[in-house]
Amino acid sequence: MFGTRFVNAAKAFVRLSRDNPDEALKSVTRAAKASALGTLYLVNAVCAAHLFAEHIGWINLVDGPSMLPTMADSGEYILENKMIRPKDIKRGDLVTYLSPLDPSRIVCKRVIGLPGDIICVDPTGELAPSTEHVVIPRNHVWLSGDNAVMSRDSRVYGPVSMALIKGRMVARVWPPSKITVFRSNFDYID
Amino acid sequence: MRKPWSSIRQSWRTFWGAHRTLKRALYPLVWLPTGIVFTELFYTVKSVNGRSMQPTLNPDTSPWRDLVVFDRLSIRTLRRYERGDVVALASPLDSKLLVKRVVALEGDTVKTLPPYPDAEVRVPVGHAWVEGDEYFHSEDSNTFGPVPLALIDSKLVWIVWPQHRFGPLLVPSEPDPRLPRGPSWRVEKAAADKARWRNSRVTVVQQKPSSSEDLSTRVV
Repeated sequence: MFGTRFVNAAKAFVRLSRDNPDEALKSVTRAAKASALGTLYLVNAVCAAHLFAEHIGWINLVDGPSMLPTMADSGEYILENKMIRPKDIKRGDLVTYLSPLDPSRIVCKRVIGLPGDIICVDPTGELAPSTEHVVIPRNHVWLSGDNAVMSRDSRVYGPVSMALIKGRMVARVWPPSKITVFRSNFDYID
Repeated sequence: MRKPWSSIRQSWRTFWGAHRTLKRALYPLVWLPTGIVFTELFYTVKSVNGRSMQPTLNPDTSPWRDLVVFDRLSIRTLRRYERGDVVALASPLDSKLLVKRVVALEGDTVKTLPPYPDAEVRVPVGHAWVEGDEYFHSEDSNTFGPVPLALIDSKLVWIVWPQHRFGPLLVPSEPDPRLPRGPSWRVEKAAADKARWRNSRVTVVQQKPSSSEDLSTRVV
């Protein structure tokens, strides 16, 4: 159907250019202008979508074994909230941040400690002696993967500045059988 | 049955048909997303506060704050970090934007300045050492240690205002010793001496540490 319409339009144009070349040239200019403007509008819409994803929120694919069992190795889509103030972060939140090891990587970990907390660097004694404790400096947080064995986190690079934090994971939206809203799993023990 | 969408479209059209001037005034706002994305991904103009980068920026003789162009493209997209670049970065201690100079990159060894506790430090993978040109007026890596490259937001490329310094940011170079040694000659000489002293404190690593290979494993 589209094909026949296109052919008819082309025929009409050939007829017009034979009978009235000036009018044909005008119609070509008009079509070119319209498609240029359309392209600009498309670019503008892509920019608007980019801004929405960067500053308001978006659904992202997560991957990697470091957050097992909270998040699977691959194939899960997570709704991310980018409208967070780093000051409002609580212990137990899942946050995304730019990796201090590689600026082009965004990673997701769980917040364990807030500024002023005293943290045992590695209770297993694997990456640091299990007696080593640090005080988290101001505007920094301590982050850790749920799957400690397969995770590269604050045990490796120390406390992470809140300026690196980009967003908070709100909920898993795909696959449908595993839809979950992530809540803080942080408990105080007496 | 009434079609709600067509009636909304109709009233939308009548409204803008009746308010032509308003339409013409507000129409440019449609292109705002493109403009904002341009400043976020390519170039942006900002004014610089404070005296930590004197005399490169905000020299005492200037009654204005410097207005400068920051290049985000080569930092955020191309990831080109060079020693000697003047960069804007978020302070790790309060997330505010600072303007500092990159002194050393990952793997380099730096002789630190007070108040840093250690005399020498090796910059870890994915980090940089940043200092203000007037380190005694500056809260920089000597206070908070090496900063992650991800905190670096953009690179200063051009001074827009004040007018007499309009132009690209120059690399400090030794002035011609045959020229008359007036105030501007001495300023240039001091800047070159300072750059030489700054570079003398850094042992540049010839070959980057094998970080890329490490990071390509799926452990994140």
